[in-house]
Amino acid sequence: MEYRNKSQRKWFVSLIYQILLISVIGVTTGCTSNDQTSSRGVLRVAAEAIVQTDPAFISSDSEVMVVNAVYDYLVDVDESNQIQPRLATRWEVEENGLTHTFFLAEGVRFHDGTPLTAEDVVWSFDRLRNPDSGLPTADLYSNILKIEATGTLEVTFTLRKTNPFFLYDLSDNHALILKAGTDEFGSTFNGTGPFKVKTYSPEDRIELVANDDYFLEDLPKLEALEIIFFTDEAAEANALRTGQVDIITQISTALFKNLQLESSIITLNVATNAFPVVRIRADQPPGDDPRVVQAIKHAINRNEILALVQQGLGAMGHDTPIGPQYSDLYVDDLPLPELDLEKARQLLDLAAYADGLDLTLRVPEAQNFPDLAVVLKEQLSKVGINVEISVEPESVYYGEDGWLEATFGITGWGSRPYPQFYLDVMLTCDAKWNESHFCDEEFDNWVSIAGSTLDEEERVQAYREIQRILIERGPIIVPFFFPQFGAVHERVENFQMKAFVGRSDFRPVSITEK
Amino acid sequence: MDTSLSERLDAVLREADLHPPSALRKLLGYPSSAIGAFIVTLFLLIAILGTFLAPFESNEQIAADALQAPSSVHPFGTDNLGRDVFSRVILGARDILLLAGLGTLLSVICGTTIGLFSGYVGKWLDEIVMRIFDSLLSIPALLLALLVLGTFGPSRNGVLLVLLVIYTPIVARVVRSVVLDVKGKAFVDAARMRGETIPWILFREILPNAIPTLVVEAAMRFSYSIFLVSSLGFLGVGVQPPSPDWGVMVKEARIYATQTPWALFYPASAIAVVVIGVNLLADGLKRVFRIGDH
Repeated sequence: MEYRNKSQRKWFVSLIYQILLISVIGVTTGCTSNDQTSSRGVLRVAAEAIVQTDPAFISSDSEVMVVNAVYDYLVDVDESNQIQPRLATRWEVEENGLTHTFFLAEGVRFHDGTPLTAEDVVWSFDRLRNPDSGLPTADLYSNILKIEATGTLEVTFTLRKTNPFFLYDLSDNHALILKAGTDEFGSTFNGTGPFKVKTYSPEDRIELVANDDYFLEDLPKLEALEIIFFTDEAAEANALRTGQVDIITQISTALFKNLQLESSIITLNVATNAFPVVRIRADQPPGDDPRVVQAIKHAINRNEILALVQQGLGAMGHDTPIGPQYSDLYVDDLPLPELDLEKARQLLDLAAYADGLDLTLRVPEAQNFPDLAVVLKEQLSKVGINVEISVEPESVYYGEDGWLEATFGITGWGSRPYPQFYLDVMLTCDAKWNESHFCDEEFDNWVSIAGSTLDEEERVQAYREIQRILIERGPIIVPFFFPQFGAVHERVENFQMKAFVGRSDFRPVSITEK
Repeated sequence: MDTSLSERLDAVLREADLHPPSALRKLLGYPSSAIGAFIVTLFLLIAILGTFLAPFESNEQIAADALQAPSSVHPFGTDNLGRDVFSRVILGARDILLLAGLGTLLSVICGTTIGLFSGYVGKWLDEIVMRIFDSLLSIPALLLALLVLGTFGPSRNGVLLVLLVIYTPIVARVVRSVVLDVKGKAFVDAARMRGETIPWILFREILPNAIPTLVVEAAMRFSYSIFLVSSLGFLGVGVQPPSPDWGVMVKEARIYATQTPWALFYPASAIAVVVIGVNLLADGLKRVFRIGDH
């Protein structure tokens, strides 16, 4: 190449030097930035988009995941459903079982720099238990007589009657500690939690950075946590494969099995107490005839349901919401109604349904419930029960309390750290969500004992009776308990997925560059 | 002078040299139409003989055979619930062709009747009917379907109603255009002068002229109906599970696509093949009847 003059050549050489210089600076900066990232790491988690950001109204796993990172609970529940300290480092219970005193950790500060005091705890729980607030927690905390700040870092709860599960109630998903007087619940994000909100782009992602003033030393291990919103699990899986996200959760059985074959991905399978309940209303025909309920129980093949609907993954259900997760309260030696088609037909004959029984099964379009409905339809057809399936969007099924009115339906229940919740809200006569309209005096009596006695032995006995009654005459079938599936990239360390994914602890999680 | 419907139709077809034997010969003379006719005939036979051809019941679940790849026992494999995909595709043909066929037939009958009256009577009746149909046609078909099924709930009858609501206006418009074309012709005037009633003039004098157009239109509507029925099944607002509706099958298999791709591939292919077949046949009919060939 010939240059017309010297200055043009000089300009060209200078341009080359500039390009080289910029590249070197760019590469160096890039390396530095990468090094910084890898020193503590940024964790990217795929989740469904959040709608609610006010801790009192959250419900989905992703919503709980966000607030669990930004705020703290008074007490927490670990992977084995055991109560663990969080803001309260220790607690004392008076002998009468009615007074619980909690001692808060020292040096806890909200993200705006103000210190946490007992008043904040009192204010947070008073808001949640206010009967005029219309909050879902008002019922849960109606047993609390009063909450007092008995010291700067000391809170005392006084109960109306004893409750052996009170600590679990305090660890409810909504029971996060906010700063007293907070009024912009959904936008200020002023918690004491391990992460602070950096940016929130609705329907895209929420970026959190580590709270360097977190009261627990060396936690969180991460530099930042990004929760990226997805609408489709296939897209989540691809993002995991290409390293755009590090953790995906709540994946289908098919995807779980598929990801098991990939070397750079570690699959997670956690037992939970989440279950579908197949229930028939006990207050109207045909479910008001116990023989019909028994006929249905004798007609279904539980092993086949688990094999087909769950591909064998999960735990077998025993027609009660109390699963093997609650090892000390779960009873597995009570016999279930055995598969006996002849007996089922005889019971239907006696119930005056010898010519067949037509039922419409309402099913929300969620998880594999439609599959469960299809298998049930086939099994029940063998004893002359003709099931017509109506698959409805979740918004229709659960909307305007339609699910509580359905004669025959399948409903999904999430995993809870203790079983009393299910009995209180879905099975006692006056339960808020008594979808089966089951009402049994003996049952209610045992539920009351189970929910109030402080005597461990008596509680175990009560739970045994509760399970016996439900197996014998409960208008519900719990065919199985779901496992929770997830997958993480191999560079993620110390992530322990909980049964309720949103409550998984991201504080000890770290990233290693591989 | 009385002329029966068959005589009129005969005259129209004779004029165009389209007696059934020669029309069929012409149709099969085009390779693409012959392929279309073959596909449609094949699927009609499958629909009629389905129960004899399918080795399993549509909802028969064999737990031990779940998630099986195609084999000699299960030529199209099995799905996640251990159901034979081949049997479901075969038995699904009857459901979908019957539903789409019935929907097409009803919309052709309603559309023809409305189109004949609207076009012949004209004036305010034509104005009102056409404006109503214009407003219906301005709403996308799928949206209208979701609206109807959202109101009446998902069911087979609901799907039938959807096909009727969506395709009647289209058929009516096509028939009306033929009516406008022939209503001023001498033979119609002659019938009027003879004192024939309006229904007589419409169905005996005018309708035979619309038959070729109507046959092609019906074929097109049939193809769209198959597609719409499958789409509604896929969206979960049409035929409900466990019906072997192809759209429902695609929807169910989609979740397990990585485990049982065959359960997704075969019903999806069936939809594609039958829609292509009907379209090829409709194109052939269009050529035979020289519609749009001016």
